[in-house]
Amino acid sequence: MTTEAHLLTLQQWLSPAFPVGAFAYAHGLEAAVQDGRLPNVAALRGWLEDVLEDGAGRSDAILLTLAWKAESPEALATLDTEARALAPSAGRMKETALQGAAFAKAMRDVWGHDLSDLTYPVALGAAARAEGIAAPLTATLYLQAFAGNLVSAAIRLGVTGQTGGQRLLAGIAPLCQSIAAEAGAATLDDIGSQAYLSDIASMRHDTLHSRIFRT
Amino acid sequence: MKTLGTRSVLDGLRQQGSLKALFPRITGGPCQAIMVNTAGGITGGDRFELSATAGTGAALTLSTQASERAYAAQPGETGRLTTRLRAEAGATLNWLPQETILFDRSALHRRLEVELATDARLLICEPLVFGRAAMGETLRDAWFRDRIAIRRAGAPLYTDATQLSGDIAARLARPAVADGAGAMAQVVLVAPEAEAQLDPVRDILRGTLPESAGASLIGADVLAIRMLAPESHLLRRALIPVLTRLSRAPLPRCWTI
Repeated sequence: MTTEAHLLTLQQWLSPAFPVGAFAYAHGLEAAVQDGRLPNVAALRGWLEDVLEDGAGRSDAILLTLAWKAESPEALATLDTEARALAPSAGRMKETALQGAAFAKAMRDVWGHDLSDLTYPVALGAAARAEGIAAPLTATLYLQAFAGNLVSAAIRLGVTGQTGGQRLLAGIAPLCQSIAAEAGAATLDDIGSQAYLSDIASMRHDTLHSRIFRT
Repeated sequence: MKTLGTRSVLDGLRQQGSLKALFPRITGGPCQAIMVNTAGGITGGDRFELSATAGTGAALTLSTQASERAYAAQPGETGRLTTRLRAEAGATLNWLPQETILFDRSALHRRLEVELATDARLLICEPLVFGRAAMGETLRDAWFRDRIAIRRAGAPLYTDATQLSGDIAARLARPAVADGAGAMAQVVLVAPEAEAQLDPVRDILRGTLPESAGASLIGADVLAIRMLAPESHLLRRALIPVLTRLSRAPLPRCWTI
């Protein structure tokens, strides 16, 4: 059962202030902007929906849920290796590995959980299990935080303003819920990622002449 | 395949059904095996399985004589194509099939599993065409599930999974999916020179698909390339210089004619 304590914990973990450095990662958004693919907030919304439904959003929700269900550190480590193999680019590997390591460090230092440096969704799923927080709720809020971070990046990149960004985020909240709910019964074989242009944008980020984000 | 002196030669062959292998005589470079699907394509209920091993120190290039076609299937029936490749110590394996063309109302479940020894080299390319553009065909109702899983010394190294179903054309029109592209290719190189190939490959892509392709060094010796093109000819034209460079040998003739 979800308690207020659970919500407080999740809100803290998934807050933009949590020291995983989320603000530095734009998931290819900066390259997409420079390539002229995100001329307005409507295009941004379409892009974010795809990243959630066809890209890292859905894959991460499944990985998080599977990590929550893992019954041993060995099972968790095996899942983590699968998660790393799914990274489509160097930038995406950085996002999941570095944020995951930072998250795991906070779990060890502050919550006293014996968590090794796992990829981000795997670490989060394992930590939620250890705190007794339900997987679907964790996945829903994770997806919202992920989308929220990309909206913040888009605002810094000048694609939209604060109001447009918040309207977009409110609009895609139901999508976060439905993806998290579907992830509940999924297996590794159900992971499919066909947000090809998002992956390509992430690859192209490294070739930008000037950039403000790490990915 | 195994090694005999400095050459790679056939060590064993077993074929059954409509999948056959041809072995063109070539001078120099890896031994080539060209697969022929004598049935002319895949439809619902078909089962195709292919296994190949490059033995210790051997070099093998696998390709297909023609593009593979996934034809319309009966409702509820899925065609399966499973390929298992192995490269043993010091071996080189190139998996360079020609395009797979998905027809409308096709249903294809494809898997490519690759097992690498620690120091084996691998180059794979999987070009995919979404509908017969020349016939004005789009994929309004099709089913495609694909997984490329590369493992090294038993551990997952690189996985690429695609799941598309229903109105695939509408999905591909999405901004972060394919923005309407009709053809896509995934190329992966696992080799010590992967890092050195990154910039040259990016230079090639800038000239061929300046806005819809990317290359990235995912691990110290793992280079991944993703390309989208409006249609299959442009994809092929962009692939040839990349594959020629990465395979360090002439491409099978079927690629260049």
